Amino acid sequence: MNWERQLELQAWVDGELSAGDARRMAAFAESDAEARALANELRMAKAFISANEPEVKVPDTREFYWSQIQRRIAQAEPAPAASHALSWQFVWRRLVTPLSGLALVTFLAVVSFNTFREPAIDDSSRFMVEVENLSDDVGSISYRSQSENMFVVYLYKKDQEAESDTQSDQINDSFFQ
Amino acid sequence: MAAFEELLSRHRDKIYARAFSMMRNEDQAADLSQEAWVKGWQRLKQFQGESSFVTWMTRIVINLCLDQLRKQKRQRAESIEHLDEELGGVERQMPTVTTNPTEGLERTELRARIDRALNLLSHEHRTVLILHEFEDLEYKEIAKRMECSIGTVMSRLFYARRKMANLMASYKREEMS
Repeated sequence: MNWERQLELQAWVDGELSAGDARRMAAFAESDAEARALANELRMAKAFISANEPEVKVPDTREFYWSQIQRRIAQAEPAPAASHALSWQFVWRRLVTPLSGLALVTFLAVVSFNTFREPAIDDSSRFMVEVENLSDDVGSISYRSQSENMFVVYLYKKDQEAESDTQSDQINDSFFQ
Repeated sequence: MAAFEELLSRHRDKIYARAFSMMRNEDQAADLSQEAWVKGWQRLKQFQGESSFVTWMTRIVINLCLDQLRKQKRQRAESIEHLDEELGGVERQMPTVTTNPTEGLERTELRARIDRALNLLSHEHRTVLILHEFEDLEYKEIAKRMECSIGTVMSRLFYARRKMANLMASYKREEMS
């Protein structure tokens, strides 16, 4: 019996042949002892295998097995609410952060402009405008220059003012330069 | 999810057993059967009730096992024996088993012997046998799932059955001697 015939015989055993081919194969098996023996062996194998699938049980407990599956399910599907919250936060950060930065920079610019803006005063009255001296004994001279980033206060005893006019002039000159 | 857990509790052994039959490895069977339950949960809305739930789940685990076997096959070289089996050379050397080697065996012993014999088949032959004898799939359906020709399915099934019959006969002879 050739190879194709053997496979055809098996197809007959499995009911895979058309009605006509099945009748032809049945007649062949009836007349050929080798074919009949092979068909019987194939039927026998089919019967004892299909009726006796080996029984195997999950080696883990039900709880452990289920917990592993639950963990996998949780890993596989991220919660939709969390995803929505994340995307919302992302958009919020992307929009608000630059706007906040811009607002802060604008605020600081305005404040610093107002704070450090040099008062529109005459150059001749540049000094003696910052310090109010209430003492009868001590006199003061102050000098403030925005452009030079300088503020100087010179204190002196009033009773020595007359004696040291010359010296004061010299000191003042040194400070004011 | 409680209902799904109940379904798992009822059918987990069956799904695991199918994975184990195909993979012959406890770790892989546990991993793939768990993966099948995860997919079952994810695709639960697709379950139309055309077949029973356990049949639907069995198909999922079989597909996962087939994918895994394909990956493994790519990693190993085809042996000469495999090629010989495909061409029908080995089957011709096997004597036809005329007396039923399972007669008189208790069911537990019979299943143990079938399990032992299944273990000696290649993945390809065992898979065809499982899909045909345990799942009752037709040649055409097996060929589609295994991504091979119907001729290859017939050839593998023929070899697998003959090998099983001969192995069972040899176990019987061992018992008698």
